[in-house]
Amino acid sequence: MTFPAELKYTKDHEWLKMLDDTTALVGITDFAQSELGDLVFINLPQEGDEVTKEESFCDVESVKAVSDVMSPVDGVIAEVNTELEDEPQKLNEDPYGAWIVKVEKISGYAELMDAAAYEAFVQK
Amino acid sequence: MKQIQIYRTAETNPHRNLAVEQYLLENVQQETCILYLWQNRRTVVIGRNQNALRECRTTQLEADGGFLARRLSGGGAVFHDLGNLNFTFLVNKEDYDLQRQLSVIVEACRAMGIPAECSGRNDVLSEGRKFSGNAFYEHRGKSYHHGTLLVDVDMENMSRYLCPSAAKLQAKGVQSVRSRVVNLKELKPDLTIAEMARRMEEAFCKVYGLEAEHLDESGFDLGYIDALAERNGSWEWLHGQNLPCTMAFGERFAWGEIDLQILAAEGLVRQAAVYTDAMDWQLAPELEKALAGSRMQLGELQGRIRAAALDGQVKEDLCGLLARQDM
Repeated sequence: MTFPAELKYTKDHEWLKMLDDTTALVGITDFAQSELGDLVFINLPQEGDEVTKEESFCDVESVKAVSDVMSPVDGVIAEVNTELEDEPQKLNEDPYGAWIVKVEKISGYAELMDAAAYEAFVQK
Repeated sequence: MKQIQIYRTAETNPHRNLAVEQYLLENVQQETCILYLWQNRRTVVIGRNQNALRECRTTQLEADGGFLARRLSGGGAVFHDLGNLNFTFLVNKEDYDLQRQLSVIVEACRAMGIPAECSGRNDVLSEGRKFSGNAFYEHRGKSYHHGTLLVDVDMENMSRYLCPSAAKLQAKGVQSVRSRVVNLKELKPDLTIAEMARRMEEAFCKVYGLEAEHLDESGFDLGYIDALAERNGSWEWLHGQNLPCTMAFGERFAWGEIDLQILAAEGLVRQAAVYTDAMDWQLAPELEKALAGSRMQLGELQGRIRAAALDGQVKEDLCGLLARQDM
């Protein structure tokens, strides 16, 4: 299990990669994908949708369950990784490469952890 | 686990029953497990991320007075009738214990002398045949695990309403997997739904080692449940998801050969493309114009064809062609 140092993490197992002061990529962590099991579908949001921290903006379906993906920030969706629509398994294969959305105009953050804190959090 | 609760309903409308399930999930207390037992009359229930058109012959189902319903959990399409008993275990996420919940089903069967075991693909089997399909959902720290218990389901109707293949439609979303199923009545001929429900309640108390409290509807927020039930029955909820799909079919008629390709999204025809060698050059543009924007529903598609400026025989042939597409 990996925890890249340049990312921030939420207690709901999403990662956040800041691109500049108000723009970031969001995805689910290696721990999240391993808990969910093989993903078969992702219900993606639309470009231009507003997201709110700690509220669901998307859901993923695995062979085990349907689960919500929560937003780590307040902002607006600038881009959606539509490749995942046809290949949701990329979230399993490469969780930190397979970003779900790019969020811009970020105006607030959920409680975030650095890599060391998140690693300790999931091992608890 | 501090307490266990049971809610059993006599209601058989799937949209209402699924609304109650969501209400119970949102309101389940800490250290509590609720067992909800319910039945739907003549219903096809599709998974959260499925395309109704691909999974179900909705025209046939509706003509027979049946219901189409969508659940919050994932997985494939299933057929319910009054020979099926549904169960749902509702808990807070930290109280979720799939193995323990599944053992309630195994225990209920064992108490009646029916052998049962869990399979890899979220099913409970008896001697290799599936009688219970299970699915899961979690939202805001609450989880449910629900499933079917086939006691005496009409297997002919099951194949009548569930589409056997994806041939007619290319769609994104989750595909159903066909299983070899068995009714528990085949394994225990005197079994009734009432006995199955009682055995589930007894096994639930035994597995959790607690006395169950029985819930009744008087404490529920009925206004909220009614609103959810209305949403559950709406066209937007059942068909209006943003899942693009294409449907392609064709046939040769006396007036020429025709191929139709329909691109649909959110349950509406976004674009129809018509290829034909018919002599009437207006046929293709007229038909494309007539179908654009229609709901992906047999009656409405046929109505638009009948209203178009086309030859009467062509219209009848096209309506017949659509009717043969397992919609």
